[in-house]
Amino acid sequence: MMTDHPLFEAQGIEKAFPGVRALKGVDITLAGGSIHALLGENGAGKSTLIKIITGVHQPTAGTLRVDGEAVRFAGTRDAIARGIGVVHQERNLFPRFSVAENIHLEQIGASYFKPIDYAELNRKARQWLEPLELDVDPAMPVSELSVAKMQLVEIAKALSLQSRVLLLDEPTASLTASETDRLFAILRRLRDAGTSLLFVSHKLEEVQEICDRVTVLRDGENACDSRAMAGVTRGDLVEMMIGRAESAASGRRRAADGAPEMLGLQKVATELGHRDIDLSVRAGEIVGLYGLVGAGRTELAKAILGKFAITGGETRVAGEAVRIGSVAEAIHRHGIGYVSEDRKSEGLILQHSVLSNAGIPVWRRLAGAMGLLGDGKVRDAVLPYLEKLEVKTPSLAQSAGNLSGGNQQKISVAKWLAAGVRILIVDEPSVGIDIKTKAYLHDLLRDLADGGTAVLIITSDMPEMIALADRIAVMDGYTITGVVGNTGSYPEMSRRIMDLIHGPDAAARTA
Amino acid sequence: MSRTRFFLSNEFGLVLLIAVFAAIFGLAATGFLSPFNLFTLGRNAAVNIMIGLSMMSVIVTGGLNLAIGAMGVSAAMFAGWLIEGVGVPWPLALAGGLACGAGLGFINGATVVRSGLHSFIITLATMSIFFGVMIFLTRAESYRDLPAVFSDFGRMKFAGYVSPLLLVTLATALVLAWLYRRTVTGREMLAAGAQPGAAELSGIRVGRMVILCHMLSGVLAAMAALMLVARNGAAIPSMAGQLGQDWLLLAFLGPVLGGTLLQGGKVSVLGTVLGAFLVTMLQSGLLMLQIGAFWVQTFLGLMLLIAVLLDKARRAYLARRNLA
Repeated sequence: MMTDHPLFEAQGIEKAFPGVRALKGVDITLAGGSIHALLGENGAGKSTLIKIITGVHQPTAGTLRVDGEAVRFAGTRDAIARGIGVVHQERNLFPRFSVAENIHLEQIGASYFKPIDYAELNRKARQWLEPLELDVDPAMPVSELSVAKMQLVEIAKALSLQSRVLLLDEPTASLTASETDRLFAILRRLRDAGTSLLFVSHKLEEVQEICDRVTVLRDGENACDSRAMAGVTRGDLVEMMIGRAESAASGRRRAADGAPEMLGLQKVATELGHRDIDLSVRAGEIVGLYGLVGAGRTELAKAILGKFAITGGETRVAGEAVRIGSVAEAIHRHGIGYVSEDRKSEGLILQHSVLSNAGIPVWRRLAGAMGLLGDGKVRDAVLPYLEKLEVKTPSLAQSAGNLSGGNQQKISVAKWLAAGVRILIVDEPSVGIDIKTKAYLHDLLRDLADGGTAVLIITSDMPEMIALADRIAVMDGYTITGVVGNTGSYPEMSRRIMDLIHGPDAAARTA
Repeated sequence: MSRTRFFLSNEFGLVLLIAVFAAIFGLAATGFLSPFNLFTLGRNAAVNIMIGLSMMSVIVTGGLNLAIGAMGVSAAMFAGWLIEGVGVPWPLALAGGLACGAGLGFINGATVVRSGLHSFIITLATMSIFFGVMIFLTRAESYRDLPAVFSDFGRMKFAGYVSPLLLVTLATALVLAWLYRRTVTGREMLAAGAQPGAAELSGIRVGRMVILCHMLSGVLAAMAALMLVARNGAAIPSMAGQLGQDWLLLAFLGPVLGGTLLQGGKVSVLGTVLGAFLVTMLQSGLLMLQIGAFWVQTFLGLMLLIAVLLDKARRAYLARRNLA
């Protein structure tokens, strides 16, 4: 029951940072009892708008209205006081505090010396957990919860602050399909109770499933303002976001059947608990490794790289049985590259320059006598790849941390192209990057495979997996439960994959 | 580098400060610019800069080395023992002292890497261990019968007031600058220090690099202590104070004033040299102005604090202006 009376309005919002105009007059209207999608590519101004709505930033121009009344938020507390809550993309919980303490953090400090009544605190917390069907002990430390449950605790926290407008910034980024479904059921319930939800996501399938209204930003302006979702197709959304139609996904198949095997695992076990892993990636083939969070995919990749010990079975690289003792050996001797899902701490050295980041794997090879190595040599080696990937940077000396997520991801891939790896493992290739870059990256990975590289993709994004992989290995509980050939049909593939994770019965029940 | 960025750099600030204080001391303290004072100033600067470089080479990894005083003195005492106790020719004994520094550095580095603990706690422990073992083995006695070449080198003057020790230090600084900018090893040290996880997954042997950084720190600490031996004409167990702690403030002042990031991953060799030189000049100038030695110490402590705060403000400004 959507009300016509808007709970929250922003009109003509402008925000200028030194040298950048992030928002150039944006409008958005949030109604009660509605789930409103906020879409846009990275850099379109979504984060800035959210920060203005939640009082982190103050707009340079424009007005905010709550219940029709013009307001100014001097800080986040003002926004909370007016009933605006937010669940951020990054977890904002204190891991060692209990669930109840986290939920009531803002209210605990009412009096400095008054002892905290924990029984009362836990009882009140349960009040907010129950509507979310979150069956956890409020006295339990947050660090013992799964990612999905932490997310729900954050929502409970926002609700306990009497939020009538709830902002959700990429809430499904680290959730599995079934967890996402549960979250959506809860969001619908909140909507029916009259809450106004603003949903930010890169996953258009989800947005179409759950949102009834949509606002799209492009380059700091409205590509559309709070229009009804009904009748808007995925293509329309993409066109509004990137300003042109999406290039048709080329689901072309490769014929790698006769090609030699580049990476082979047979009955492999690892110190992390993997067992009976059989996997094979041929030259020129893209193999997908699908599984839920916690299935052990990233861990397997790191064991292949030599970061964790392989305790049993046989590993073959280009047909030869190998024992890889360190990551350096995997990269320099065997030509295996790994693009991490965690760009900030494992992918790039953000404080170092673009040139330095793109060049690390080739330094040893380029060095002359006595380890001498000049910038010129590195530039010659990596520049063609940075140009090929259209990395946008003011200069090669720029710190990688100053570039957008998409450009950072391009650098993470470019460095392995420059290193000329034979096997490339890509972990969550499109995490935190926009649609345009994602499509570009997909094309690039296909080209790479066509050029003879063996590519292993790890992703939780089913459409991405089906768009890219030739074969899909399904992982669950640190073992491979099966391998299916990709037919390109989404319903068929998702059913067969879910069969391999939950068993056929479970799939039948959820269907 | 834009012009604004250059004028906001640490190095430029330090040059400015050195010029200002040189002018003040030159006018206010009689004898500050005399050839003899300039000679001792340069000689002290040589040791202080070397101490700063020793700390810098570990700060690169995002760690620190509290044991540099203990390591330096232990290495110098080892060299003294090689000469007096074993009868090794002095060039070999020098090499032995440097090797001892490297060995002690290896112990620090390997323990840090193996245990996964922060270098703060490891080097706090090894500081006491190294110093204690050294005092036990030497019975706290000095080596005073060293070949004349040591004290001759310490007294030698070029062009009236330039100490050869200063030239050794500057040459070492050049080698270090070259190491970090132009060699694979130096680049890998910086990468490993800035973001160990990313460095490892990019094919760098992070543990090996951390150990190398500690060994380099040990060698530089040994060089600083051997310079003190040349200055004193003897290897004395207490030449860096109890547990070698007299070096600590100096060791941090140089790199921090010079803009080396305490989080690791970024160094400024020139900044460290200028920073340590400024500190030496202040020490000498303030003492010549007859200000008590304890005030000098207080002043240096204040300076460290101000330097860190200023650097924080400067970075915030650069970030706001999107310059860095």
